[in-house]
Amino acid sequence: MDAAAELIELLGAARVHTHPIDRQIFAKDAGVSVGDPAIIVLPETTEEVAAIMRIAVRAGSAVVARGAGTGLAGGAVPAAGSILVVLTRMNDIYEVDEIGRTAWVGPGVINLDLSDALTEVGLHFAPDPSSQQSSTVGGNTATNAGGPHCLAEGSTIAHVLGVEVVTSDGEVVMLGGAAPDLPGYDLRGLIVGSEGTLGLVTRVLVSLAENPPVVATMLIAFDDINDAARTVSDIIASGLVPAALEIMDNSMVQAIENFVKADLPLGAAAVLLAEVVGHADGVAAEAEVIRGVADQNRATEIRTATDGAERALLWKGRKSAFGAVAQAAPDYYLNDAVVPRTRFVEVLEEIYEIADRHGLRLMSVFHAGDGNLHPLVSYDAAEPGMTEKVITASREMVRVAVAAGGTLSGEHGIGLEKRDMMSQVFTADDLDAQARIREAFDPDQRLNPGKVLPEGSRCFDRPPR
Amino acid sequence: MTSLRSVTLQLLERLRDDSVDVDAEYVVAPSSIEEAAGILAAAAEAGIATTFRGSGTHQGYGNPVSADLVVTSTRLDAIVDWQPDDLTVVVQAGVPIGVLEAEIATRRQTAVLPEGIPGSTVGGAVAMGLSGYRRLRYGPTRDRVLQVRMASGYGKVVMGGSPVVKSSTGYGLPRLVTGSFGSLGMIGEVTLKLWTEPMALATVEVVDAAAALNSVYRPLAVIESSEGSFVYLGGPEAQISDQSDRLGAVARRGLSWPEPLSEPILLELRVPALHLGTAVKWIQRLGAPRWIAHHGVGIVSGGFEEFHSKGFSAARAWAESVAGALVVTSGTSESFDPWGSPPPSVEIQRRIKHVFDPAGICNPSVLAGDI
Repeated sequence: MDAAAELIELLGAARVHTHPIDRQIFAKDAGVSVGDPAIIVLPETTEEVAAIMRIAVRAGSAVVARGAGTGLAGGAVPAAGSILVVLTRMNDIYEVDEIGRTAWVGPGVINLDLSDALTEVGLHFAPDPSSQQSSTVGGNTATNAGGPHCLAEGSTIAHVLGVEVVTSDGEVVMLGGAAPDLPGYDLRGLIVGSEGTLGLVTRVLVSLAENPPVVATMLIAFDDINDAARTVSDIIASGLVPAALEIMDNSMVQAIENFVKADLPLGAAAVLLAEVVGHADGVAAEAEVIRGVADQNRATEIRTATDGAERALLWKGRKSAFGAVAQAAPDYYLNDAVVPRTRFVEVLEEIYEIADRHGLRLMSVFHAGDGNLHPLVSYDAAEPGMTEKVITASREMVRVAVAAGGTLSGEHGIGLEKRDMMSQVFTADDLDAQARIREAFDPDQRLNPGKVLPEGSRCFDRPPR
Repeated sequence: MTSLRSVTLQLLERLRDDSVDVDAEYVVAPSSIEEAAGILAAAAEAGIATTFRGSGTHQGYGNPVSADLVVTSTRLDAIVDWQPDDLTVVVQAGVPIGVLEAEIATRRQTAVLPEGIPGSTVGGAVAMGLSGYRRLRYGPTRDRVLQVRMASGYGKVVMGGSPVVKSSTGYGLPRLVTGSFGSLGMIGEVTLKLWTEPMALATVEVVDAAAALNSVYRPLAVIESSEGSFVYLGGPEAQISDQSDRLGAVARRGLSWPEPLSEPILLELRVPALHLGTAVKWIQRLGAPRWIAHHGVGIVSGGFEEFHSKGFSAARAWAESVAGALVVTSGTSESFDPWGSPPPSVEIQRRIKHVFDPAGICNPSVLAGDI
């Protein structure tokens, strides 16, 4: 019996797809790369995922995990001939511990659905990627996703306490847990951000954050984007780490206003969204620091929203950014390199220069507080040679960030997009160490082959004798 | 040691560390990570069991290791690059926690390393995954190790992680190495994320620690101990006075932590935070004269004058039944495994050990499951 027949026997024909149209639909994520899965399966339980893995072992097939497919780096783009395991049906919130502030959830639970389900108990899941209305907790775990509020709260890695994983040989194993510092290596810390290359996550134990009693969101406008960038650097240098510090440039502000009418200042060269949370007195003190720094950097307007509806409107603008971009051109390309906060201003200048040099249009939102750039090029892929030009410019931008002491990705992951750029930040020995980790989890390279590590990373095959 | 080549023996002789008095054939202090990697390459080739040492404050933690070669971090003692405006610092493994914290305190910053052990080294704290009292507010130490440079068990200099505060670039080597007890190699240098100290700090004594945890937003710590229950607050003065009013008590300025436990036998119950109250009852039932419980975190540590294998076993059985652990952190007894049951992922753990230390020379069997 071939793998497809075995999978149909396991899951029923309705949850196994091999038709060319299905294979085309699932061939890509939200980025630019395209793959070619042989079979798409939709398991509903951990046992089914383990059984799928064992079938793949027998068939010698690669296995690729996928959540909602909102990733931008190609992490969920299936290798040719692979079995694509779509985990969106595993979307139960199993148990919520309000006292310990944890929840066990399926990998298919949508990020925002989880926080919405917790509103009544005053808790939320802190990672809030822009895709949070559609991306899954499993996908967030795979990419170590971030979002505006990761500035103070840390990325997904800081909010995943444990994972149930199906290993490359089809065993089910628990890594980490609700207790702190469990004996042994922190394998949970390896799984998070490993982009489906070390195991398939079938349940996630997340830690939940307390909803802050007071929240103030400040909208600060500038006539020069460098003033906005300097404000961010100066806020961090003052020692303050607000809940969020997001910069939008003028093109993005225009696009957002056209799209959702968030009452953003259309004439501003840049808009900084700053959010401070916590105790009322702490919030007031921090807002005062931000106001002072912004004034010093020639802010032209400062609005503070404390009521829920006003704040929601400001954030709605920010979170609609990627939808808004679609009005400008049919396609966009976005990278997410990171720089030290002290180098943010100069790197930003260089990035706009690169775009100018290539005659490209940038519309950008930046997680400025943690140095996470998001230069977004909007373009039309139908124009001949345009995609290549955009990718060339984007690579130049990443190189500038790395040269400033930064790194390739803050929250999207490496996937296919940046795999061959890894040697910009890692030596052959560094990559070999990462390849060793992969070898320990997946000696046959069954899981998401061709992702994260460039070919030939495992360069020292044997220890010295 | 006779299996070593003469050139290696010369290296070991040149790097000899006479400041440390331990029972091993060679005690050496490399002055760079490259030298440490050279030493480990030679040790791996010759199959010499090797251990690592910072300031020697936590020698009783983990399974006992007998090693012929001790590599110390004595000469890796530089604060390499502190970027106060970026809230990061690059620091070598041998720098004492107290020295690092004092330096960065000049800009009111902290690495949030464990508070009570200023003589312990940064490398030691990272290798053992030690976190301090303020973990409730700032998370465990492993959340702040951004990048690590190490000498691997196969004798190469390896860097993992990223030098910036946010990254999704490759596997999380810093997290693997944090808490690995030198079983994968020697940590040479780490990049740490820093926090700024709050404008004001205060300690408030309360009656009910568990209730206090839920009545103020994000305290630095809520500690219940044999000395009493205390909530630790940070923020502007007005916030602190409002929060202490809410707790119904008077705030004392500054953070006064409990006296560190110094009994010969120390153990920790590590349980889901939900079960902390029960863990405290267990520690009391075991008769610990002194103990410290971290509310919201799930750790209770107890200090004992004598080993009570039977009682410890019962407490361990309970802790493991709630997906926790009982770990002996000092004063290990031969008849009592310091870690307890090996983790369910022990097979993968073994393979991780093997790929980083194929010759099995780095702190052999120091971890749970004899890894």
